[in-house]
Amino acid sequence: MSQIKQLSKSPLPYYTLGGLLLVLAILLGTATQDSSKFNDLFIPIFGLGVLTLLLLIWLLFRSFLRLHRDFKTQKPGSKLTVRLVSVFVILILISTSIVYSFSLHFLHRGINSLFDVKIEQALDNSLELSRTAFGIRIRTLLRQTRMMSGVLSELPVSDFNTSLRDLTELSGAIELSVWTMEGQLVTSSIQNPNIIVPDRPNEAIFRQLRQQEDYISLDPSDNDELQLRAAVLIPKIGLDEDEKMLHVLFPVNEQLNNLGKTVQDAYTNYKEQNYLRKPLISIFTLTLSLIVLLTVLASIWFAIWISRRIVQPLQELAYGTRSVASGNYNTQLTTKGVDEIGFLVNSFNQMTQRLTQARDTAQVNHRLLKQQTNYLGAVLGSLSSGVITLDKELLLKTANIASSTILEINLLSHLEKPFSKLEEKHSQMQEFVEMVTTEVGQKSSWQQQIELYAGLQLQILMCRGTPLPNGAGWVIVFDDITTQIQVQRDAAWGEVARRLAHEIKNPLTPIQLSAERIQFKYLPLVPADQTEQLHKLTNTIIQQVGAMKEMVNDFSNYGKSPSLQLDTISLSTFIHEVLALYQSNTQHKIALLDNINITLKLDSNRFRQVIHNLIKNAIEASEEALMPVIIEISYRIISQTSGNWCELSIRDSGPGIPDDMMSRMFEPYATSKVSGTGLGLAIVKKIIDEHQGSVSTENLNPIGACILIRIPLESTTL
Amino acid sequence: MVSFMPAFAAAKATLILLLAMLSLSGQAAEHFYVDSAIITKLGNGYSLDATLNYPLSPRVIEALENGVPITFLQQFQLTKPFLILGKYPPWDWRETVWSMVATYKLRYHALAEQYILLAVDTRKQRNFPSLDTALNALGKIHAFSLPSGYDIDPTIMTLKIRTELDIYALPTPIRPWALVSNEWQVASPWIAVNWP
Repeated sequence: MSQIKQLSKSPLPYYTLGGLLLVLAILLGTATQDSSKFNDLFIPIFGLGVLTLLLLIWLLFRSFLRLHRDFKTQKPGSKLTVRLVSVFVILILISTSIVYSFSLHFLHRGINSLFDVKIEQALDNSLELSRTAFGIRIRTLLRQTRMMSGVLSELPVSDFNTSLRDLTELSGAIELSVWTMEGQLVTSSIQNPNIIVPDRPNEAIFRQLRQQEDYISLDPSDNDELQLRAAVLIPKIGLDEDEKMLHVLFPVNEQLNNLGKTVQDAYTNYKEQNYLRKPLISIFTLTLSLIVLLTVLASIWFAIWISRRIVQPLQELAYGTRSVASGNYNTQLTTKGVDEIGFLVNSFNQMTQRLTQARDTAQVNHRLLKQQTNYLGAVLGSLSSGVITLDKELLLKTANIASSTILEINLLSHLEKPFSKLEEKHSQMQEFVEMVTTEVGQKSSWQQQIELYAGLQLQILMCRGTPLPNGAGWVIVFDDITTQIQVQRDAAWGEVARRLAHEIKNPLTPIQLSAERIQFKYLPLVPADQTEQLHKLTNTIIQQVGAMKEMVNDFSNYGKSPSLQLDTISLSTFIHEVLALYQSNTQHKIALLDNINITLKLDSNRFRQVIHNLIKNAIEASEEALMPVIIEISYRIISQTSGNWCELSIRDSGPGIPDDMMSRMFEPYATSKVSGTGLGLAIVKKIIDEHQGSVSTENLNPIGACILIRIPLESTTL
Repeated sequence: MVSFMPAFAAAKATLILLLAMLSLSGQAAEHFYVDSAIITKLGNGYSLDATLNYPLSPRVIEALENGVPITFLQQFQLTKPFLILGKYPPWDWRETVWSMVATYKLRYHALAEQYILLAVDTRKQRNFPSLDTALNALGKIHAFSLPSGYDIDPTIMTLKIRTELDIYALPTPIRPWALVSNEWQVASPWIAVNWP
């Protein structure tokens, strides 16, 4: 099967067809030049013609099959090919039919015109006339022969020889012979000395004579000379004699002979030609039909071939267009010729080249844009400010990493979603979303500060919104300024404390010294009954001044920012040392729950103050609420993406922290206690901040509060 | 106005002719046949007497009467088995030792109303007043001497005779039809003649 396919694809059939047509043309050319050659060549020509016809039919069948298949599968160009082929076929059929009809008509007319009834009649008549002319002679010679047989019948057989010679000379016959009826030669006399024995007359003559009928006929000789042959029985005299026959050959005079030959030749020739007329017409018709059929089929085949050739560049163009449509811009077609189709192909090639260039440029631009986007993304990602963009439908388009970090939600998972949906999943975002939604209603840039509560943690955000060009949406930038505000606040407090300490501390020492002087100098001078009162009053002054000094020292400490003296300390040892100071009061239950060895880099003096302040705070809170003092201290290591931390927790069983105080716990003068300066926790926060740590509070369930301190832990300290 | 009828008629006739050619249709005529054939030993040689019958089909007779000469071939073959390595193989492979074709041309002489039988090889001509007598004479082989130059061994050799009508000698217009028509394909089969 594959071989057949291969053969059908190969040009072999086309070359064979071309060769056959060429040979056919040569044969026809030769045949038409010489009619005798045509006789010999007819069969090979016809056979070759039929062979060519079969080959053409096969080729055409294949071509039509392919055409049909292409048309059915709607192959590009097939419709145009079919249309062209149809037009060609119609033209070929019409023109060839006309030529064929006329040719046949002239063929019939030409051959039939050679034959005429009158000529035929004339020839018949001339034949008949010749026969009549010969008939007169025949009858005369028959009579003469009979007379010669009568003469011979009266002679004995032995005298036949002499008599025959005489009779030959007298009659002018060519040959005289006497035969028995069994075919035995009795005697003969022949004019031609080269012939010794005459030919035996054929059996038909004997048969006729046996029926007692004389025989005479016009006889063509070997060289087609006409002779007259007569045979008669020699009458028997005696009964015992064998029956004999006289056989005579008479010549025909030259003129009559020539005339007879001419008539015979013309008649036979005409008769033969007339007889061969119908087969000849059939042969010519067949040959003509074969040639016409060959011409038609070859023309149709050529029409299909030329149609395909015309349509092929268009097909390639169609393929090329499809290829371009599917994105393959590199398609280049082979240019054939310099005609309009060639121009079209060239234009197509130019178009694809330009498309390729345009695509390459677009790709370069896209790459650049991507690089810029990545660059912008990197810039935005490295920003500490949160940056988000919303489109005009308020869909979240972009969000940098800092925005998710600040808002503590994964904004990237909300991309391409309505911004207002954020508050559904994250309730703490309600105020932020409402603020943004309200502000973007305006057309101009805006700036807002907003406070968010993530649990109990206060977060202050500074938001700025700027509309994107062409109303494409908004870009919103926000910063977490909680720490900044805290620092400002702390700095302000520090400044206040420092000035206050400075302003207040100066008069306190003279006041205290003056009171002590009064007590010392004037106590002996006052009456005894007033001594106690004076003592009491001066003591009050001295104590209050002392209290004020202590308060001023606290302020002074808060306001000071000495540099840290970091030592590597073991946390458990350190806490144990601090706790040892509180063991004197048995009412207080203070315990360190963990004993694992963690070393930290801390300013031991300042951190000791932290622990003291916190324990003192817890004791005072519990005692004020008349609750048992139970303090549990524990610590652990926690790992986060930002690093490892040591988390120290100090839990009491006191009344807990009031909600309204929770957010301001670490601010100066934020205290719920009756006594104290309100600076304890503020100092704690200050020291922890100086250690790069963080401090937070939470109430325990059901009672108690917990302070959580996180100090950064270096890996080497584990 | 030119009439297209001849064209259609001719096309139709052509179609019929083509179909006829392809299907080898036509009345099956009686074939020539070898009526009798006898070999007689004549001294050191052999001679053949045979009668061949030529039942001519009407189509052939028609052609003859219309002046078309008809050529008859009488073929003679002397064969012997083929020797392979000095032995006769079990299958019947034969080689031709000698062969001969006698060609006769029969025509009708309209003026003389005679049938003229010409032995083409010898250029000897005989005339017959009727077709039957001419065919009888044609079919009569009398004392035909087999060639003496061959060492004829009747035990292994076979003499075969056959006769046919020479279609290729016919005029061109009727030759294609004769080639495919049963009325002209009337050759006799090869007949082996018994040795005395």
